[in-house]
Amino acid sequence: MNRKRTLMPDAFRTKKRRFGADNLIGNPEHGDVQEGPPDVKATLQYLMTLFPRKLFNDSLPQIVLKHQLYSLHSDKTLVDKQVNELRDQGELLMFQLGFDSDTFALVFSVDYRAKVLAGEAGRATLGTVEKFLDKVLPCCSDLSFSKDKMLKQFLFTDAEITQLVKSGVLTVRDAGSWWLSIPNSGRFTKYFIQGRKAVLGMVKKSKYNEILKTDLEERRTTSHVKLHMKYHVHDIIGAELVECIQTTSGTLLRFVDT
Amino acid sequence: MLSFLIARQTGVDEPVRLRRAESTRRVLSLELNHDRDVECIHGNGINTIDIEVIEGRYMLSGGSDGVIVIYDLENNSKKPHYTCKAVCTVGRSSRYVHKFSVETVQWYPHDTGMFVSSSFDKTMKVWDTETLKPAEVFQFEGNVYCHHMSPIARKHGLIAVGTKDPKVQLCDLKSGSRIHILQGHRGEVLSVKWSPRYEHILATASTDSRVRVWDVRRASGSLFTLDQHNGDKSKASSESVNTAHDGRVNGLCFTDDGLYLLTAGTDDRMRLWNSATGENTLVNYGKVVNESRKGVKFTVSRGCSPEFVFVPCGSSVAMYGLHTGELVTMLRGHYNNVDCCEFHPDYQELYSGGKDCNILAWVPVLRHPDTEDEGAANILLKHVNPARCKKI
Repeated sequence: MNRKRTLMPDAFRTKKRRFGADNLIGNPEHGDVQEGPPDVKATLQYLMTLFPRKLFNDSLPQIVLKHQLYSLHSDKTLVDKQVNELRDQGELLMFQLGFDSDTFALVFSVDYRAKVLAGEAGRATLGTVEKFLDKVLPCCSDLSFSKDKMLKQFLFTDAEITQLVKSGVLTVRDAGSWWLSIPNSGRFTKYFIQGRKAVLGMVKKSKYNEILKTDLEERRTTSHVKLHMKYHVHDIIGAELVECIQTTSGTLLRFVDT
Repeated sequence: MLSFLIARQTGVDEPVRLRRAESTRRVLSLELNHDRDVECIHGNGINTIDIEVIEGRYMLSGGSDGVIVIYDLENNSKKPHYTCKAVCTVGRSSRYVHKFSVETVQWYPHDTGMFVSSSFDKTMKVWDTETLKPAEVFQFEGNVYCHHMSPIARKHGLIAVGTKDPKVQLCDLKSGSRIHILQGHRGEVLSVKWSPRYEHILATASTDSRVRVWDVRRASGSLFTLDQHNGDKSKASSESVNTAHDGRVNGLCFTDDGLYLLTAGTDDRMRLWNSATGENTLVNYGKVVNESRKGVKFTVSRGCSPEFVFVPCGSSVAMYGLHTGELVTMLRGHYNNVDCCEFHPDYQELYSGGKDCNILAWVPVLRHPDTEDEGAANILLKHVNPARCKKI
């Protein structure tokens, strides 16, 4: 194996790297991996635009999965750090969707608040939910809450906790603890898993289990794939379910057999 | 390069900076070299390799057939093409050979007169290198997965042994006793490693998903358990509270300065921990494929900045940046699963062994000018002697 351009440590690197036509920020729409420090917020906003709002009748806030960011930025540790910073600042909320202990969903706090309150409008549980959103979310960025915490630290009563579970803001985790969740997100999870399976199936059925990324994005989607194709492609690349290989005709996605 | 030399000469830079920069450049250019070979003695897969620390000259390897081989890595012939010959072997014909597969071998840290091997035949043997006869045999009740002797110990001669039994046993080389046990794990102990910084600190990894750090002088249990969520109980589901991985933990490696500990688990993740506090540094290496039912032996580079981790992943060796977590390159060359790899710090070479019965030597490519304009003859001469190449 004779690499034309060998890897060089930073200490020896003297030439400045050449930039492409749209240089400073790179162009996320072209799926480019960005150079320089990753701007996670901008990438999140781009990924949010891929989320189909009409499909859920606008009742769900725009959801992005954390590993979709890994498909657009090469340095995973920096991405994780920036996501945690945004969470600490209170701009971003992270949820455990429940189908995989490693998969996390990200939603902007503003969106979440708006949709939850809109969904609760006119219901008896509105007051409790508002209290929860105002008291708990700004100070505590946990993914799950235990009974102790809810009763002692935030002074909720049992009845109020039941109301929160009914409204969908909390989901049962095990006896005495609850996950923070997005109301009505069950349908999203169902479509997401179905769509992921269908897209992976498309890659598997191709000759040699590999397909060009641009080809995959242009394929006609079956009725099983309800979310945007690009959304699913970012998901399978970020979750490392397919291997990304750079070729002269673009990015090739090869199915990873595990 | 010249700027480094001049800075060093005038005293602007400390001498170690040039050495580190050059070591890093060499590690980044690791490649299979057709001039360097290791003699193929094993008839079955190779499970473990160890290079002695004193001279860096002799390499031990243990195989699935119970055979142990010692190789001489030094090139005394004047030719560039060199095959590392086997100096001696404990083969199937020896009376004292292990009955089943040898899982771990390690040289005695202070000289090459002795080495220790442990195997699935439930024994650990301390061998005399001169006569190739075991000076001591320790018998256990279950398969021995791994053992480790502290590389810096002066006050004790303890070997930590991880077996099928959840109790970690400490065998004393000086007295032959093995009454000291460390209790705390609830599953088989797949990997044990002493800290290269403090001679009494030991880390153990087990199938119960936990990694425990012990001070062997302490009578009560472990110092702490590594927690992947750093105490944030809300992130995990209730079963994975206080665990290092979501599956079996089967690989442990301290960095050379002993400040960080790397663990690898069957949840396809590798984690970097601060070894003093047990805090997860949250470096994200991505998916590190790990399907091994036994221990995974991986290694960290020494003397470079930044450091690199070499992990066997399927049939190739993956190289990650230690603190950034990015995949630098995949070293492909083996025909079957890679089981172990070992880094030679003096020459920045990597030796890896696997199920295809080969030990491959990854050697840094010599610095040479661009190949595009040169004739074919020069390309051949380059590997022999760079001074003989025609300059462009």
